[in-house]
Amino acid sequence: MIMKIRSLLPDVVRKPTTDIDHPFYSLQREMNNLFDNFFRGFTVAPRGFAAGMADFTPSVDVKENDKEYIIKAELPGVEEKDIDVTVTNDSVIIKGEKKEEKKDKDKNYYYMERSYGSFCRVIPLDAEIESGKAQANFKNGILNVKISKNQKAKEKGTKVPIKTS
Amino acid sequence: MSDKDLQKTESTAVTEKVRNVKTFVPRVDIYETKDALFLIADMPGVDEKTVDVELEKNILTISGRVENGKIKDYSLVFSEYEVGDYERTFTLSDEIDREKIKATVKQGVLRLQLPKAEKVKPKKITINVA
Repeated sequence: MIMKIRSLLPDVVRKPTTDIDHPFYSLQREMNNLFDNFFRGFTVAPRGFAAGMADFTPSVDVKENDKEYIIKAELPGVEEKDIDVTVTNDSVIIKGEKKEEKKDKDKNYYYMERSYGSFCRVIPLDAEIESGKAQANFKNGILNVKISKNQKAKEKGTKVPIKTS
Repeated sequence: MSDKDLQKTESTAVTEKVRNVKTFVPRVDIYETKDALFLIADMPGVDEKTVDVELEKNILTISGRVENGKIKDYSLVFSEYEVGDYERTFTLSDEIDREKIKATVKQGVLRLQLPKAEKVKPKKITINVA
């Protein structure tokens, strides 16, 4: 779980433009990827072994404007009943399971590049959001979540006029 | 970064594209049962209208078009994937019965059923007592 959240560290989210190319951050990301890859890099692992390791982790895009956030996640082959979207005050949790169909028992695998398993992603958001006003739809394997930002929370801070004396 | 880590791998094929979008290689599972080969490809964003399966001689090409999901007036906060088309080719052997290939798409997953030709199916020969 920690491994999955790591790539969504809040400090990276808050500074999308300035620090993303900073050598230190990219080095840190490279290191994280290196470790993640080490554990995920088995193309055809024995089933029992792969079940715990090569978990399915959906990719997520987050976009925003003044009023709302749009979160998109690629979840090919997941049924909508297996997806669980929870909205808290400052984050969105996408949970679910990609189930492997077991119609044919007599399978001989040649390629096994797709991954299955349960996943959970916590997406921290910068602004306070209205958890009641979230919409989610799922089409062609892409989950689309729209969440309005709380306008009142934004106005909490009072602007202090600066005077020249 | 290993390819396995990415949900999508960009295609490295050197052909000129008509559409100015990236092309990804979909991840596939291929397995064989007694009667058929199954090919399952993860292609999030495609539906039955935008996916194409072509068979020319013994080259099977699966491709999918995904319309660019750019939304205006929104700034990107966090991005882990890119939107683009899909394409991957496979070479089929003569063992496949080309007339009976079936394809379905559901929730961004393309599923191909490639039945084996009758002549290559394993047969059990009954032994008669002489």
